[in-house]
Amino acid sequence: MTNDNDKLTGRRDAVKMIAGGVALAAAAVVAAPEPTEADDKEEEVKKKTIRYGMLIDVRRCIGCHSCSIACKAEFDVPLGVERSWVEYIEKGVYPYVGRSFLPRLCNHCSVPPCVIVCPTDATYKREMDGVVVVDSGLCIGCKYCIHACPYDSRFLNPVTGFADKCDFCLHRLTKGVVPSCVNTCIGGARFFGEVSDPESEISQLIASESVSVLRGGIGTVPNVYYIGADHTDESDANRPEVREVHVITHRRKKKRR
Amino acid sequence: MGAHLDWGLPVIGYLFLAGMGAGAVTISSSVLLRGGAGGFGGRHFAIAAYGAFIGPIITMIGTGMIVFELGAPLRALNLFKLINLSPMSIGTWLLSVFILISVIYALTFLPWPPFIWDRLHRVRKGLAWICMPMGIAVALYTGIMLGAMPARPFWNSPILALLFFISSLSTGIAVIILAQALFYRNPPDNPEALKLFHQSSYLLAATDIVLIGFELLTIFLFVMFAQLTIGSVKAAVSVILPGGELGMAFWLWVVLIGLLIPALVEFVYVVPKLVYHREYAAPRVVEISLSIAVMIGGFMLRYVVVIAGQITGPVGL
Repeated sequence: MTNDNDKLTGRRDAVKMIAGGVALAAAAVVAAPEPTEADDKEEEVKKKTIRYGMLIDVRRCIGCHSCSIACKAEFDVPLGVERSWVEYIEKGVYPYVGRSFLPRLCNHCSVPPCVIVCPTDATYKREMDGVVVVDSGLCIGCKYCIHACPYDSRFLNPVTGFADKCDFCLHRLTKGVVPSCVNTCIGGARFFGEVSDPESEISQLIASESVSVLRGGIGTVPNVYYIGADHTDESDANRPEVREVHVITHRRKKKRR
Repeated sequence: MGAHLDWGLPVIGYLFLAGMGAGAVTISSSVLLRGGAGGFGGRHFAIAAYGAFIGPIITMIGTGMIVFELGAPLRALNLFKLINLSPMSIGTWLLSVFILISVIYALTFLPWPPFIWDRLHRVRKGLAWICMPMGIAVALYTGIMLGAMPARPFWNSPILALLFFISSLSTGIAVIILAQALFYRNPPDNPEALKLFHQSSYLLAATDIVLIGFELLTIFLFVMFAQLTIGSVKAAVSVILPGGELGMAFWLWVVLIGLLIPALVEFVYVVPKLVYHREYAAPRVVEISLSIAVMIGGFMLRYVVVIAGQITGPVGL
């Protein structure tokens, strides 16, 4: 369900960009004119590669699953698997109890372990925008990437038999629209934008708020950030101050891996 | 367990069969190369032949299992469009070359007419020089493949590949012992042939003891280092420790039945020859049952490792 057309356009753009850059550099060497301000700006724009990211303000999440449903509708994701989901974390013993929500999706890591292990290069990180995608024309369904993902955000599509995952709604991005989950979030908890651009809203929020990423210790460098995420895991039930933790994944995979 | 398993029995079976096949071919070619024509390799020519025939067959059965596990077998051809640094990509190419070479190697053992047979010796030896390193590579890569994922703490260990490699050689020997015990027919009134048969069996059994010893040592290191650390790896390895979900499968089937008992039985038959230079003569029933035990151990090792890696994950979010 990744739109092949879009990908092609994307690749062509990248080629154009590179070709343009080379031509510009060559022109600069041959003519060596005084660099004007306009030229500089143009070169800067051409050099710039976008890196998309998402910021989820968990304080504004009400656990309504709108994002999960919007994602299901957008991609016609088969029953029993999900590209985007919301976990409920219930912890503590009465009367000191808490429940928090944690919307999950592919983290579009800057160092994606799934890309490293893919034997056919079917999974790759797009150079022009940093989105990690699956090329279903090359995927063989070996499930290696599914094991390699520390976030369990990949699955084998039971209909197609290929590895599948969130792609930041690539078909929407190419038309200048935000991903479906961002669009539908009724609490306004999701922010989407270019994390590579320090002037963007998301970059400013990440820079000024206290944010966290999931499983940062593995070294995947995720591009999905959270404000106020509860990182409590079932292993924390061993702590005397927590005692009980139930993670409700709302997935067929009952356990968070 | 109830956990979701993406890699099930076909993958476990592949890891076992391909490992055993690669091990059998490695053993076969090294026996052939040791001493060349008349000497050691000549005397144990039968071992080399058994290994050469069995190895490619079981490797191909195992490979067939994972290819059909994909759902659409033709899709596997995408693997041959490129090679990258993924252990599975490198492994695919290694496995393909290995299957090709080992099949040709096996063909040289067929009863060709004498004028061809006499010229085949050099070819067979040349192929054995390729088969041995290729077999080692195939036996190693499966463990490297599992170990390549930081998200799977049970697998993410450098010693896993070594463990699979030693187990491959050990099960490769076991399958040769089994074949020899099942198919060897003693020609009547030929004590020399029977003596040779027992010498071959002794060679295999003695080598197997050494390998099982190394395997036990590797398992000890694997478990010990996991136990000495904290966090994800310790939590992951606790599923194979006594009391864990796979504790019984590991300690009873892998360590006791697959390693300790076969090693002890082999030891009982090897020691008289080793120390007192008596004739080695293990009854066929013993040879058959202990080689099956080693193979069960090899299968259960793959089973425990593949399942344990999937039901455990990083601790904390």
